[in-house]
Amino acid sequence: MMIASGKNEPGTVFPPKVWNWLFNLGGIALLFAMAVDTLAVAGRHIGIPLPGSIELVQAAILVASSAAMLSATLADKHARVRLVMNRMKDGPLVVLKRVQAVFSVLFFCALATGSIWIFLDLWGGYEESEVLRIPIAPLRIVCIGPGTDSGPVACTDKIPRDIV
Amino acid sequence: MILFETQSRYELGVLTLFLLMAHVCFAADASRDFFDAAARMFGHRRGGLALASIGGCAGFGTISGSSLATAATIGLVALPEMRRRRYSDALATGTIAAGGTLGQMVPPSAALIVFGIIAEQSIGKLFTAAIVPAITQTLLYCAAIVALCRFRPKLAPPTARATWAERRTALIRIADIGLLVLLVIGGIAMGWFSPPEAASVGAIGALLLCAWRRRLNWQALRNALSETLRTSGMIYVVVVGALIFSVFISLTGLAEQVAHLLGAVSDNQIFTLMTMAALLLVLGSVLDGLALMLLTTPILLPIIESIGLSPIWFGIFLVRAMEIGFVHPPIGMNLFVIHDIAKDVSLSRIFKGVLPFLAADFVHLLLLILLPATVMWLPDLLGQ
Repeated sequence: MMIASGKNEPGTVFPPKVWNWLFNLGGIALLFAMAVDTLAVAGRHIGIPLPGSIELVQAAILVASSAAMLSATLADKHARVRLVMNRMKDGPLVVLKRVQAVFSVLFFCALATGSIWIFLDLWGGYEESEVLRIPIAPLRIVCIGPGTDSGPVACTDKIPRDIV
Repeated sequence: MILFETQSRYELGVLTLFLLMAHVCFAADASRDFFDAAARMFGHRRGGLALASIGGCAGFGTISGSSLATAATIGLVALPEMRRRRYSDALATGTIAAGGTLGQMVPPSAALIVFGIIAEQSIGKLFTAAIVPAITQTLLYCAAIVALCRFRPKLAPPTARATWAERRTALIRIADIGLLVLLVIGGIAMGWFSPPEAASVGAIGALLLCAWRRRLNWQALRNALSETLRTSGMIYVVVVGALIFSVFISLTGLAEQVAHLLGAVSDNQIFTLMTMAALLLVLGSVLDGLALMLLTTPILLPIIESIGLSPIWFGIFLVRAMEIGFVHPPIGMNLFVIHDIAKDVSLSRIFKGVLPFLAADFVHLLLLILLPATVMWLPDLLGQ
């Protein structure tokens, strides 16, 4: 368990601090979402509703999912068609991994570009949630994270060391 | 836009929180308890441990939601036990590989959640709709084992009968998790809470249960959280990819063209569904389950709606076809998982063991096509 042990995943160039920071951020957001939703259920059934609980959970899940996507990239856990890769010899496998890394980088860069574009487009206005008036702009910045960070991660981490 | 919209969807919390519930339950050693209880109840019958493995997979599926995780965890517990009792290698490994697929069908299932998000369908309704198919799938697997043992008794020798005291002890050990699962699934079906709320309640319940069993410590919590984050991160990227892909599919009009093509060949609903089943099985034998869902949902769902079938039914049908891909060469991920646990059993032997269950799978798929009410009966009954 890489994050728990605080050691680097084999092949990764990212220090343990990055993993710990990500783990703490995502884990706390996840536990927060769990607690708020459970309190909201309990409150509703005993007649003390928790207004805006859905907005809090949405914000927490957004933070957790951003950390989760980056964690999956760092741990090289993204889905892939192993049927092809598992049957390749070393030479073609290296080429295929390089191609795969390039596509990963392109995908995450496209996500980042789209997110930044929307963010800049909405920069002039002020968005907030309906009940608790949570500002949306910081959440949009959090959302840009997985794309902008996963691109370089995929670029440096997913290509095996012998190729880089 | 899709990234933010997807990540900020309240329903997406279901996936992460159910995964957290599952990982906390792993820490509570639930897999061994489920198998032990089923083994005490049915182990004395011929093929009883194989039946217990299927029961254990179905039980563990209620907290795991993943085929691979169910096959791996139940396999670690049940395989050594069956081999110690001189069960045929093919039967033992085939049972676990096939039984593992129940993890994907028994609610709460990660595949159903992903389908609900991609197809914009009620996750609660999908969970309720999966209950009867999960039960019929379990029964068909049990029937396959009983039939095998009747015709070839040497495959699975009978073992000693457990006393009622032993059975009671084993059942009491799973009572806490059973109650938690009943609360979560029952709560959704009865409308006490929404699926995301059920996932939160389930995760809190799993943490309390783990503490009650004196297995909750800082390390276990860290492991559960980090595994949850990594797995959900992988699924989020698939979901985002699927949503982007579906936009392109709708822009190209591919779904309409495929529907038109199918309609030109025959306007028979059964023919259309059989063609889809064949397509899903062929693609499922070379593609990973989530990739299959990602590629086919945007194309096939509009066709299903155009022939008057429910998207909920299609979700169950798709997941069922995905499951078959898990035990079907050349990918058959569950076969590789079992091969990892029992390295001395060849892949071809594991596949031979899976064949009777594959036959049961095809019968089940046919049942879903010919009797769509097996899926829609319970949600309709509960007025969902």
